[in-house]
Amino acid sequence: MSHKLKIAIYSGVIPSSTFIERLITGLSISNQCEIYLFGAEKQMLRYDKNVKVVGYRNSKFSKFIQLIKYSFLMFFFNRKDKKKLDVILKSKGRNTRLDKVKFYPVLWHKPDIFHLQWAKGIEDWIWLKEFGVKVVLSLRGTQINHSPIADAELAAMYRREFPKVDGFHAVSKAIANEAAKYGVTPAKTKVVYSGLQLEPSLEMEKNKNGVFQIISIGRPHWIKGYTYALDGCKQLKDNGFKFQYTIIGAAGNIELAYQIEDLGLQNEVILMEKQPFNTVKENIQSSDLLVLPSLKEGIANVVLEAMLLKTFVLTTDCGGMTEVINDNVNGFVVPIRNSEAIAQKILEISTLSIEQKDELVNNAIQTVRNQHNEKQLITGMLNFYKDL
Amino acid sequence: MKQKGQKSQTIGLVLSTVPRYSETFFRNKIKGLQNHGFKVILFVDYYKKEDSSFSCKIVSASNYNNSRFINFWNSFVALSKSVFVHPKRSLKLFQLNKKDHISFKDNLKQIIINEFFLSEQVDWLHFGFGMLAVNRENVAAAIKAKMAVSFRGFDLYLSPLKHKNCYNILFKKDIRYHVLSQEMKHDLMKYKVQENQIKVITPAINTEFFQTEKSPHKSKHLQLVTVARQHWKKGFIYTLEALACLKQNDIDFHYTIIGGGIEQERITFAAYQLGILENITFTGKLPQEEVKATLLQSSIFVQYSIQEGFCNAVLEAQALGLLCVVSNAEGLAENVLNGITGWVVPKREPIQLAQKIMEILNLPEEQKQEIRNVAIERVKKEFNLEKQQEKFVRFYQN
Repeated sequence: MSHKLKIAIYSGVIPSSTFIERLITGLSISNQCEIYLFGAEKQMLRYDKNVKVVGYRNSKFSKFIQLIKYSFLMFFFNRKDKKKLDVILKSKGRNTRLDKVKFYPVLWHKPDIFHLQWAKGIEDWIWLKEFGVKVVLSLRGTQINHSPIADAELAAMYRREFPKVDGFHAVSKAIANEAAKYGVTPAKTKVVYSGLQLEPSLEMEKNKNGVFQIISIGRPHWIKGYTYALDGCKQLKDNGFKFQYTIIGAAGNIELAYQIEDLGLQNEVILMEKQPFNTVKENIQSSDLLVLPSLKEGIANVVLEAMLLKTFVLTTDCGGMTEVINDNVNGFVVPIRNSEAIAQKILEISTLSIEQKDELVNNAIQTVRNQHNEKQLITGMLNFYKDL
Repeated sequence: MKQKGQKSQTIGLVLSTVPRYSETFFRNKIKGLQNHGFKVILFVDYYKKEDSSFSCKIVSASNYNNSRFINFWNSFVALSKSVFVHPKRSLKLFQLNKKDHISFKDNLKQIIINEFFLSEQVDWLHFGFGMLAVNRENVAAAIKAKMAVSFRGFDLYLSPLKHKNCYNILFKKDIRYHVLSQEMKHDLMKYKVQENQIKVITPAINTEFFQTEKSPHKSKHLQLVTVARQHWKKGFIYTLEALACLKQNDIDFHYTIIGGGIEQERITFAAYQLGILENITFTGKLPQEEVKATLLQSSIFVQYSIQEGFCNAVLEAQALGLLCVVSNAEGLAENVLNGITGWVVPKREPIQLAQKIMEILNLPEEQKQEIRNVAIERVKKEFNLEKQQEKFVRFYQN
């Protein structure tokens, strides 16, 4: 390519989640493309010079200004495209003022590639292809893994729209396979693992006072499978095993709080509020084990972080995680929806020798450094864009 | 019925909204009280125009979910009424709240939001759910009425987990409580509520509607059914795990879930992962006639709840001659008598549930029929509306 690729990375909000922000930063630093961010600006952030933010604040006034500005620009300088888009939007019943606030700026800036992060939005954006913009979609999370299983209309929409998409970025091989149900072909799909760089803080004490410290991190959504972890905790307690289990980000969830009371785990389990990244990091580091009891997952970043922070990981075989964790080699794997297996495995982990522990920790660090470094993420994504 | 010479009492029933058509408990209760000569006034937080045809007087709170200006205006009107229309009662409420160490600001707030109670004359002020009495603990005393609070399950077991210590003031009051089961009574007593303050009145069903001349469904293909909203407390995931276990044991079955709710995605995905999605029908919420028709097509009713006050649906299923398997969550073990009118399995134990269902399948037909007969008779005798209404009459008279 002779000119820098213009890539819109769209999640609907600015800033986006940690892993999408990591991608934005990495691509902009590579200096090989210009990044455009569209959508609702929740927070003003300073980005690299290669990043252009075309957002609006969540106020009627800001949206109004955005609408006037881009309606004006399109009307006077690109009337043909505006007319064409208006016809498309009208035919889809998507020609409200809010739709135009969303769509006009993207058409005006017309990126080479529009990279949509969430599958449910594909129907809204596929029209960009009519204007020569390549549309690519990231296959990640619940929107691929379970929403279309319970929602037949969503599954039908995926089957209708996915064949029109120019390329798919899959966060794991497992999710690429899952998406095949909806017409995603291997030829159009590239698996690029997330990447991160993280240095441990000073060495932190584990296994305080002989109490085995277990931690989970994440919102209290049912897909995270915490109810199974808690049932597992009951079995640990019945076995006389001394442990403390902390779930960061689950405070206030009544289902989990009731389960803790019901199982008599008030002294063993703590539901904590969401914490800042550095606190989470310290909590992971001071724990003996991070548990990911998920029912379905792409590749959880928190697992990669724990591996770099020298904390063991016990995950379920919930999809992409088995592409990272090899049971008893660099972590531990149990079947999904199996609290007994979780409890049993924790008991086994607690009896490992120091040599075994060291070997597992080193293997885990090597896995993340080799397979999930930031360089492979950025190079992988750049190649993906260039090959479209 | 009203006895000669006896002054008819007025019951102020406090609910969030006017009971909808499907909310039979409160509708039956109001009807029953009216038939026994009581006057009923319904106090609600939210009111719709179509509620005006309801069978008793309705007094509704001002709506404070509007724009700031409208909220301010409504507050101003309520405060003015408190001061100028019923100053004595407002002052009393203020003093009682102060005695409970409620801050001046919160006290003022309470006077504003509870102003709509102050203009009515009632003998009893009965809060339909525990949470409805929070921040209203002194309203009944302020209007010189006796106070009663019903606890129905969610409000006793789950609300305090979200709103820590929310009943601290309430439980110190000398008031009367209505709960649905002995288990709930014991759990309420753990909060130091005196035993004589608590009256157990179980739910009841329309036993004339829920009866059948048809012989029980005996198809070789096992038909299981649950009637419940799709909420985690109903224990659907554990139920599905038990059913997956049945499938692994080559038991052919079909499971129908009647009821809507917010957890459809979770339940469907569990069924998919457990490989039993094709064995399940989700009907959504159905009218009562269709619920009855679907129950009559089934042989075993499963209610494997995690938390349950009592559960009308299990009574209805028993009345129609279904074999019922339930968990031991709170009132369920009183609803179904283990081994006599059905079976009770410890909660959160899906393998035990699967084993119990397999055990039932292998029971001799005579034994199953015996269970059905005892269950039908017990529901008819113990859980009919007339009996429940009499208990409520006594609740207010004693």
